[in-house]
Amino acid sequence: MRLPAFDYMEPENLEEALDLLAAHGEDAKVLAGGTDLLVRMKKGVTKPKILISLKALDDLSYVKNEEGCIRIGARTPLAHVIASNKVQQKARALHQACEKIGAVTIQHHRGTLGGNILQDNRCHHYNQSDFHRSGRQACHKDGGQICYSRDDSDRCHSTCQSDGAAALMALGAKLIIARKGDEREVNLDAFYTADGIKPHAIEPHELLREILVPVGCGHSAYERLSYRSAIDYPIVCAGVWLRTDEYKKDTIDAARIVVGAMGRAPLLLSQDAAFLKGKQLDDTAAFEKAAEKSMKSAATFAVHNVGSTVEYRCEMVSLMVLRALEQAAQAAEDAAR
Amino acid sequence: MEKMTMTLNINGKPQEVMIYPNDTLLDVLRDELDLTGSKESCGEGICGSCTVHMDGKPVRACLTLALEAWGTEIKTVEGLAHGDDLSDLQQSFIDHGAVQCGFCTPGMLMSADAFLHETPAPDEEAIRKALAGNICRCTGYAKIVTAVAHAAKPSDDCPDCKK
Repeated sequence: MRLPAFDYMEPENLEEALDLLAAHGEDAKVLAGGTDLLVRMKKGVTKPKILISLKALDDLSYVKNEEGCIRIGARTPLAHVIASNKVQQKARALHQACEKIGAVTIQHHRGTLGGNILQDNRCHHYNQSDFHRSGRQACHKDGGQICYSRDDSDRCHSTCQSDGAAALMALGAKLIIARKGDEREVNLDAFYTADGIKPHAIEPHELLREILVPVGCGHSAYERLSYRSAIDYPIVCAGVWLRTDEYKKDTIDAARIVVGAMGRAPLLLSQDAAFLKGKQLDDTAAFEKAAEKSMKSAATFAVHNVGSTVEYRCEMVSLMVLRALEQAAQAAEDAAR
Repeated sequence: MEKMTMTLNINGKPQEVMIYPNDTLLDVLRDELDLTGSKESCGEGICGSCTVHMDGKPVRACLTLALEAWGTEIKTVEGLAHGDDLSDLQQSFIDHGAVQCGFCTPGMLMSADAFLHETPAPDEEAIRKALAGNICRCTGYAKIVTAVAHAAKPSDDCPDCKK
């Protein structure tokens, strides 16, 4: 499969990359690992005139431990994130999510964490070849007025299948986004727009520079379901984070539940997580109840567009959330001992 | 879009190639350099049959631009053998019948080779995990896993290891 024609630019430092993005942003795409972008280009769903490669920007590849947070450069290969002890110990959900992305020996060395966060939403009806899509009217994401996954829908229902997104959102991560002469910080839950056509709140002339993961307190876990353990995208995933009370170590003080691969953005289920406040770490019934609530909340958003049936995926939401909650609670109990 | 000349380091030798920006590493290996060991199957990073080493790490050649490979050490399946002497891993694949139609074999070998360099004495689960990104449509996984395991550590009980 040939790639379509494009011009290739290789800035030598961040400033140069931001200059190029400022000048060519609308026509350009940023190339990091390429494991998502090049596939989309081969299928003709993305047709950039210019690729701006981050190959030379080694200063965007790092995992730094700081007081209360981990800073991860956007171009850090997944293999480096997985190998980081600090991530493994303090941001377990991220470690578990990165391990499950793609295939162990292959995507992990090319694929980057920034690329995983910025991977485009997917839909079985859209992520097809030019030839396949040319046989029928264009869908919303393709510039048309139809949605093939939900009849008569006035909007695109493509699904966010990023593993990293659900895990990082559960951890309360922030993104540092740079543009020429400026940069801004955005919470991950605000970064995902829930717009299937433009799922990320990032402008064409901006560049994701850093991911900031707070790790002060709390325990996290990530679970996912996919057809095969490697290569496939998740069809349901859940990232959770639990913090215990400062004095009563067996009582949950705060929680976050994020369900991924079920909607246009990862679903941060604040109300369902709030139900866990004040519950004991060994209160399995409460976890089951929270998982049930999460399933009901997430079911509203699911459409049949990423494989398997909606009914099965909805049922699996509660299982993924429950397993992740149990893991996080176990980690919290182990830490309290 | 202009064709440009650059030098790629393939299997320890510098090779001058003329490429377009939209040439993948796989296009260059197969079409320019006639290194047809690396196969194109899915072309979108799923099957693993195009796996090559880039600075010792396994990557998909179909999803790596040739331009991105500049300045790195590329090793293809043709670089595994020393002259006419096959590597232990290659010989083990033959001895254990791990090659059926053979299309996935170059990718399997490259993934397994990189894995064995990092993990010289792996258990079966680790091998299966390491090869999870490579698909064999003949479904001959059991023999492939055995071949990798016995390449790392020949077994006295295995008749194929004595060949």
